Amino acid sequence: MAANTRSGYRAPKVSWGRDFKRNWPVYVMFLPALIMTVVLHYIPMFGIVMAFQDYEVIKGVFGSEWVGLENFRTLFGGAEFPTALRNTICIALIKCTVGFVMPIIFACLLSLLKSRRYKRTVQTFSYLPNFVAAVIVCSLVTEFVAKDGPITLLLSRVFGLANQNWLASDTIPVFWIIYVVMGIWQGIGWGSIMYVAAIATVSGDFYEAAAIDGATRMQRLFKITIPCIMPTIVMMFVLNIGLSFSVGFDSILLLYMPSTYNVADTIYTYTYRMAFTSGANYGLSAASGLFQSIVGTCLLLASNYLSKKVSDSSLF
Amino acid sequence: MIKLKRKTKEQEDTRISSMVEHPSKGDRAIDVFVVVLCGLIAFCSVIPMWHVLMSSLSDGKLLLAHEGIVWLPIGEVTLEGYSHIFKDASILQGYFNTVLYTFSSTALGFFIAALAGYAMSRETKLKNVMILMLMTTMLFSGGMVPTYMVIRALGWVGTRWALIIPGCTNAMFMIMMMNAFRAVPQEMYEAARIDGAGHFRTMSQIMLPQAMNLGTVTILNSVIIQWNSWMPATIYTPNNKKLWPLQLWIRQISANNENFLRSANPDYSRYLIRYAVIVAAVLPIVILFPFFQDKLEKGVIGGGVKG
Repeated sequence: MAANTRSGYRAPKVSWGRDFKRNWPVYVMFLPALIMTVVLHYIPMFGIVMAFQDYEVIKGVFGSEWVGLENFRTLFGGAEFPTALRNTICIALIKCTVGFVMPIIFACLLSLLKSRRYKRTVQTFSYLPNFVAAVIVCSLVTEFVAKDGPITLLLSRVFGLANQNWLASDTIPVFWIIYVVMGIWQGIGWGSIMYVAAIATVSGDFYEAAAIDGATRMQRLFKITIPCIMPTIVMMFVLNIGLSFSVGFDSILLLYMPSTYNVADTIYTYTYRMAFTSGANYGLSAASGLFQSIVGTCLLLASNYLSKKVSDSSLF
Repeated sequence: MIKLKRKTKEQEDTRISSMVEHPSKGDRAIDVFVVVLCGLIAFCSVIPMWHVLMSSLSDGKLLLAHEGIVWLPIGEVTLEGYSHIFKDASILQGYFNTVLYTFSSTALGFFIAALAGYAMSRETKLKNVMILMLMTTMLFSGGMVPTYMVIRALGWVGTRWALIIPGCTNAMFMIMMMNAFRAVPQEMYEAARIDGAGHFRTMSQIMLPQAMNLGTVTILNSVIIQWNSWMPATIYTPNNKKLWPLQLWIRQISANNENFLRSANPDYSRYLIRYAVIVAAVLPIVILFPFFQDKLEKGVIGGGVKG
């Protein structure tokens, strides 16, 4: 995303009038994007005032009654939202720790492979789940952890766990584990691309010198590879934290059911339910959506600031 | 983002072969371990889809009684599941809708992104304003409900427009196109302008062919996103089944899969529809992506687009 200033040509200082006279066709070319962005992104931003209204569709934004922070009071006072908040935080935490290191481990494993062709084949296979639609992945998960699904059978044979539909279980970490493991299955290959590319830029001289000095492969991995890709790891970690709270909860809509709301409901799904199911409460939904985007934005800005301090690389 | 230089294959190969290696026993053990573990990960990545493919070819009644992964077709190999798809008008309609949404959204989106990317890559006074305006939308959004209200006010709820138009305005793609146009040598642009080509002509005929490397990446990403998209349809066209993309039908079929068993004399081959539909939905993407693997990888490294 960093601004690329390859074009050596700099426009001389010109007045606004001359700029428009010369460049109006360029501005006209930007017009479609401008209109679309304003209508689909900027106007909805003003729609957040709905969070402070007792919004009714017939009356619209301008006619609905202002209720101040009433929606937020209902939100935090109710039973559902605090549970959703807890679940969101817990899933985000597991995703940022376990879910985050998996692609790094995978990239390191790939770097230890000697055969190029084998490495490429493994990579191709591991990318596949990333291109499978969320609906299909969730449908597969539902089948695999059902009462007689392959994973349930495996767990009961190897660990002696009860044969049950794991998705219907409302014991605390079960749903979270399923969700995070699903994410890992989908993202382990695709998520490793960044790290594989970073490892490829590590100079071979380091490895050669270490090998001459008698370093084992594991030593080379921990003393050379990982320190060398640390900037990439830090940057990806920042990005992950920043997005962890607001991105990647939509698949839960395909996996949860009313009986597991207490472990599976997240702010995203709560927002969705409040708006698009019977008994819609748009004001409440907008309030919970606003809460999520505020926390998400704060996280992103904070982690970006931290990464600027720590690793000198940032997203913006 | 960090710039990463990719080494050429030759460089990497010489590095490995010329390396002084005195592998110890421990090293050998680790080598074997790594090979096995990587194989296992690759295996786990494809086996669920293999299971679906094999199930779709199995005999319905035997499949229903089967437990665990289906390694090979159970019973006689049959294509009944697929023939059900072709008989089912609603699934075919869903397939058609998905193709339509994917194609139109990608085409229109690319057109807009190319125009905007070109505009942002030129030296104008408002250049930074335009870039900032698009960057902002990547960070902040109004959220689900306000966006819904705008689409509603436009009268698009329950129509195809709600599924096509919002997918066309991806700021990420516009920024990628901007970078693509910036990488084209300035001389090309100047030569075309001096020869009297207008901005649109310069963009589409002179510069776009050279910017197509990143351009293809945006197109591929858009195709994958649109093909797999289901959320907008559940929000904007939940009741109009004629407009449902394939993904919503898969959800529906998966959820109601066992309903047919309640009938007195169930047709077990109907059990296969679910698997057949999944195969039909995944196949185009799976066939497409190995050819473009390198390009898609470059997109991740250069643009940070998550697929």
